Amino acid sequence: MKVEIKKFGEILTSRPAGRDAALTIKSYFKIGSNEKIELDFTDVLAVAPSWLDEVLSALYAEFGRDRVVCLPTENVSVIESLKAIQEQGT
Amino acid sequence: MVAEGILVVRGSAPQTYYTLAGVPDFASMIEWVSAKNASAIRSEFLSESRDVFTGRLSRLKVLLKQGLASEWLPLVISTVGEIGNNTFDHNLGQWRDVPGCWVETQVTGKLLWICVADRGQGIFRSLSRMHPSLSDEKTALHAAFEKIISGRAPEQRGNGLKFVRRNFSETGNRGLACLSGTAFVSYGDLGEKAEKFLKKNFKSVHGTVTVLVWGLS
Repeated sequence: MKVEIKKFGEILTSRPAGRDAALTIKSYFKIGSNEKIELDFTDVLAVAPSWLDEVLSALYAEFGRDRVVCLPTENVSVIESLKAIQEQGT
Repeated sequence: MVAEGILVVRGSAPQTYYTLAGVPDFASMIEWVSAKNASAIRSEFLSESRDVFTGRLSRLKVLLKQGLASEWLPLVISTVGEIGNNTFDHNLGQWRDVPGCWVETQVTGKLLWICVADRGQGIFRSLSRMHPSLSDEKTALHAAFEKIISGRAPEQRGNGLKFVRRNFSETGNRGLACLSGTAFVSYGDLGEKAEKFLKKNFKSVHGTVTVLVWGLS
């Protein structure tokens, strides 16, 4: 299932907003038992690592790392946030 | 000298004045940070809640009209967002008087200057409760920008300021400096310039002031 991140906002920076987004994805998106969750950052202006860390941590815990995918993007804030999170080892 | 780009005209008649190009005029921020009690100071640059701060981040789009390339706007917004959200994450219930953070930008002499300041507890106090091995403000400030460390353990946090440092130091013609308590730290090509600005205006602060500098082509 593709999750359009732009639906959560254009600028996504805080941990509380990230937690809310993750809860929403888990609650309201009908995700099949083996289905992949593809995060699509098209038309998002800016993402910070705090927001993304909250989303990915919650989704990894619920669905496992193999099923959560960040789709390729040229948005440098997404790319750098992912790097920061990977360094932390989330 | 204005035409040659040496001086910048600020204000409007009858209170026009001139400052050196490339040096920001953050007088209001300096007054707010330095005030013994800032409760009476109101400003469009002050966000007293996280919601207000988050809502105002979109104002940074104006930087596109001031010379920032569009591909870099996301990185600038996310960096400011990370610093500002840190302010709220780590000072909840710990504000000295006024909650929130002051965010102001200026473009002068082909440099984009951004300041993010707060009147919170400072980085040393925030970190040292969970990390008592941090012995002083300087050590704590370096750790905040260089190590995966957080004052909110056991929550898995601590990557935000590393992200900030990397964005403003690993590519040329950028830099940052931070003052928290009495400790200064700077990174990147333009970090020394940012630190010089902080040292000229502050000996110490109760809280934290971060200055980011981004060279515009």
